[in-house]
Amino acid sequence: MILVAGPLLVLWVAGLALAALDGRRRGVGVLAIAAVAVAFGLQAVLLGRVLADGPQELVAGGWAADVGIRLRVDALGAVFAALSSGIVVAALLQAVATGVRSRSLPALVVFLTLGLSGLFATGDVFSFYVFFELAMIAAYALTAASGTAREVGAAFLFAIVNLVGSFLFLIGIALLYRATGTLEMVAVAEAAGRLEATTAILIAISFFVAFGTKLGLFPFHFWLPTLYATASPPVAAIFAGALANIGAYGLLRFGGAILPNELALSATALIVIGSVSIAYGAIQAIGRRDTREVLAYSSIGHVGYILVALGLGGPVGLAAAVAFSVANALNKALLFLSSELRGRLTAAIFLVGVLSVAGVPPTAGFFGKAALFDAGVRAESWWTVALLFVGGALSFVYVFQIYQHDRWRPREQRERATPLGSAGVGQRLAAGLVALVVLVLGLWPQPLLAAGRDAAEAIVVARGDG
Amino acid sequence: MSASAIAAVAVAAVAFVATWAAWAAGGFAVDVPWAPAWDLRLSLELDGLGLLYALLAAGVGVLVFAYASAYVPRHLAHEGRPRREEARLHGAMALFLVSMLGLVLARDLVLLFVFWDLTAIASWLLIGFDRANRSARLSALMALLVTTITAVLLLVAILVLRAEYGTTQIDELIAVARPGWAVALAGALIAAAALAKSAQAPLHFWLPRAMAAPTPVSAYLHSAAMVAAGVFLVSRAHPLLALEPALLDGLLAIGLLSIAVGGLLALWATDLKRLLAYSTVSQYGYVVVMLGVGGAAGAAGACLYVLAHALAKSALFMTAGAVTEATGRRELPRLGGLARRMPLLAAGSGAAVATLAALPLTLGFFKDELFFHAAAERGTWLAVAAVASAALTLAYLGRFWGGVFLGRSDAEVRPVPRRLVWPVVALGTLVVAGGIAPGPFAALAEDGAAVTAGGPAPVDVAYHLDGRTENVMALAAWLAGALLLVARPRLQGALSALARAGEAVGPERVYTASLAGLNALSNRIHDVEVRDLRARIAAVLVPASALIALGVVLTPTGGTYAVGPVELEDLPLVLVLAVGALAALATTRPRRHLRLALALSAVGFSLAVVYALLGGADIALVAVLVETLFALLFVGVFSLIPARELRREARRRSTGRTRARNLVIAATSGVVTTLVAWGAFSRPIPDDPAAERYLALADDAHGKDVVTVILADFRGLDTLVEITVVLVAAIAVATLLHGRFRA
Repeated sequence: MILVAGPLLVLWVAGLALAALDGRRRGVGVLAIAAVAVAFGLQAVLLGRVLADGPQELVAGGWAADVGIRLRVDALGAVFAALSSGIVVAALLQAVATGVRSRSLPALVVFLTLGLSGLFATGDVFSFYVFFELAMIAAYALTAASGTAREVGAAFLFAIVNLVGSFLFLIGIALLYRATGTLEMVAVAEAAGRLEATTAILIAISFFVAFGTKLGLFPFHFWLPTLYATASPPVAAIFAGALANIGAYGLLRFGGAILPNELALSATALIVIGSVSIAYGAIQAIGRRDTREVLAYSSIGHVGYILVALGLGGPVGLAAAVAFSVANALNKALLFLSSELRGRLTAAIFLVGVLSVAGVPPTAGFFGKAALFDAGVRAESWWTVALLFVGGALSFVYVFQIYQHDRWRPREQRERATPLGSAGVGQRLAAGLVALVVLVLGLWPQPLLAAGRDAAEAIVVARGDG
Repeated sequence: MSASAIAAVAVAAVAFVATWAAWAAGGFAVDVPWAPAWDLRLSLELDGLGLLYALLAAGVGVLVFAYASAYVPRHLAHEGRPRREEARLHGAMALFLVSMLGLVLARDLVLLFVFWDLTAIASWLLIGFDRANRSARLSALMALLVTTITAVLLLVAILVLRAEYGTTQIDELIAVARPGWAVALAGALIAAAALAKSAQAPLHFWLPRAMAAPTPVSAYLHSAAMVAAGVFLVSRAHPLLALEPALLDGLLAIGLLSIAVGGLLALWATDLKRLLAYSTVSQYGYVVVMLGVGGAAGAAGACLYVLAHALAKSALFMTAGAVTEATGRRELPRLGGLARRMPLLAAGSGAAVATLAALPLTLGFFKDELFFHAAAERGTWLAVAAVASAALTLAYLGRFWGGVFLGRSDAEVRPVPRRLVWPVVALGTLVVAGGIAPGPFAALAEDGAAVTAGGPAPVDVAYHLDGRTENVMALAAWLAGALLLVARPRLQGALSALARAGEAVGPERVYTASLAGLNALSNRIHDVEVRDLRARIAAVLVPASALIALGVVLTPTGGTYAVGPVELEDLPLVLVLAVGALAALATTRPRRHLRLALALSAVGFSLAVVYALLGGADIALVAVLVETLFALLFVGVFSLIPARELRREARRRSTGRTRARNLVIAATSGVVTTLVAWGAFSRPIPDDPAAERYLALADDAHGKDVVTVILADFRGLDTLVEITVVLVAAIAVATLLHGRFRA
């Protein structure tokens, strides 16, 4: 299946070629954009195919499925793959338009996208880890690429804390293999259902901590605020909009599809931890007066919602988790991409992101939030509904407070030096494209809601009780 | 007029004519699928209720936008701002109008919600139009937070109804809904959202603040948009609310409270716009009371009241703006005697005041007749309250008009553009025409009321010169109102005390204190955020350990933690493991970096021996290679770091508390990791069917040994990606070494 392998091949070849070239040259940047755009195009077509015809498969090397590594793209993987690559295209466009200062940036971004595309496509637990490692190491390198002392400091923290998370993940995979005797996800899911309670829950907890660290969930988030606030806006957009999807996808895949019993068992714990994250992120964000710092803490809060949706469970809860994750990734990418741009048009673009994060229509974020409330209402979990309400209220406070501070207050009264002058066309185009997607999904929510529903169905089918 | 102003007026005019034409042509309906995944439909339909509100939004819009086209350039000039900012205001006004139209036409509740929030966004942009002004920013934020946070309640209500009845179409819901918890809950949430939007007590405080907006914005926001949206929603959803009588009683109570709070504060206020803002709170209280009374009488009264109020209130705000433009003043005590200087404005606003105060020969007379009728139908106590309310209204409106246009003052009166006056005159003429020939207005209200009442709701308007209850109540109200107006100076102390009490402990105080408290709390938490690397790693390990411990405690561990037999032939293994454990303990001791690195290597080498003893010769070789490389790497890195730095680091002594903390972190992590590993390894190894297959297929892959075939072929993809990982790591290292760290 060319659609499954195509994006990976394109990205791999492009990455190797770019590694040899000087990324500061505009032509090289354009090449990188083209490569990721082609991969995104293929993944978008693949998404359409998956939604129409069901999961698409390919076994590497043409071996039987139980021998080779099986790539298996279902609705969940296809949604996240297209989402992440699309966001990388926009971010890379802005990075190239702004001017790349590090020669390795385009190659690293392409490798990062390769890692993401691979881990969303694979149906093999270990291969997931390998692609995951590729994405993470590219991310570490990316933070260090621009090379100011402060950024390298943030990159160091990011790398060390996440390596601890990756290590826990590797332990989890080893245990899972030891306990089930297979690496193929469908078979693992079957065998995992027969594990003893203690073994299974310990594996589940290792995965939870690993993905919680990737997501930046409280209390595993301490690497996140400095990194998001110091990285350049396009890189921050890639981290918050694409890389963080590993966490959401990982929780859905490993929790929802592979270890559903353990997920159900820990529903209360998930909702509690999610709530703490929501409250913590939101309250931290309220007092900040630097847009990107607000966004960093808001990210911590918003991943809590994904956890709450997982805790609510069932097709509706999983669908909400997917729809919200998609909307959240778009929102964060949009806000980071427009956070440092000035000018009237970019103020409007930024406003779209602000409305979407607050869950105000007509934006994708509104339907993401509505899906969460729907999951809470259908589960008749009124505590959760109340929590979502309070969390939402707090996010209204910080997001509009920072908007007014950053865009309305006279420049001399701001607590932070904000950039002068209007943004360039390419910079605006990048943010504008994401804003357009957010608006279109707000005006025509069918793709978002259907993607959530179908992805949730893929999870339920994968666990074999659908 | 600027192009943007002309465009805004044109939008409003087209909307007005189109609405009228669509109604005359027998209505208008669109219904297409929107999001089938949720069964949402883009359904818009013009009915009597929608017609009333749409005509108000568009009609008042035409006049207010025309007024704004003259007002805003002057306003900007006063503030020394460029004229082009005008476009922003007209654009947001047009958005306001369009979202109101969408709101009143929407038949899908989710679609309605979209427009509901859009009105809030438009009003936020408008209230915060004077961005440089701190009070405008705070007022905009307040209006936005109060109305959008409560809007979420409406969203929850919609989802509750959808979960219960499987639809979001309002007509279908009204057809199938039955009394029960779902309707009670959803109805209460809808009412809460609507009442906050209509600035009803106790969530009324944002509206007086919203007067920070330029006057045309206030004129629109208080009459036909935003605040009207709240009572519109209650009217639209009334058949649902009426299923639970307690909800209607709640409306009645909140309406009466708002009449009293708004009325008394309007009687106290001296700022023109503030007085009018409180009067809006009070007057929408009337509408809410009538919706609370319900039935045909309540619905009829509510619709006619909204109509008359919108016309009059927009005229009064525009009056206040024109007066302030002419005199530069906005405080009642500093104004007076303008009737001679601005006779047209005095006449137009006089008609508007008369209609709000329900004097005969104005449209407003009938709105109070219907109000008295509805109240008297409900009971004597409400009739008394209604008379008191009407008296209060008469008193503060008399004070407003008299204070501006009668008496005398030293104010200098500058001429104002005609466009600041004629919209007021047009509205004044309209309400007087309504008082003489109420037929068309009554018909409009009747069509609207039929939707709210869910059946015919006749709006009977005529002058009856007899002693019927309504007439007696009206006479009593006028008399009491006149007395109140005369007695007002003596009440000033009591009114000020009320206002001060509201400022000290009222809902606005709760709002500002919560906002300040949240910001303070945020700063306090931010100050204690973990900042050093060690604590950040501990922040992953310790919670992970806690979760794992929780998992072990909460699940049955039957047989998981069994200790197997130890045979004599295991002795070498046990010895090597003991050496490894000792080496691991030893890593906690050294202070010199080189010793630490060597101790770490010792752990790794002893594990390599363990692999060898367990028969994994190839793994043992790899482990030896890795350990050797790492030992060399450490030595190489240490040689790059200045010796002085290394010595300084080595001499650092940690405090007893830090050491204890580190000990606890290390011990818990170690114990918990052991639990995890033990939990997994104490199970029998499951059959790995793949192993058999690998061996069988090794020849097909042209490989001599199975490990090579697995790495290079069966799982060649993993190997390829791992090689890429190494490449990326090399790029990273090269980048770091190449880039001189810029400070």
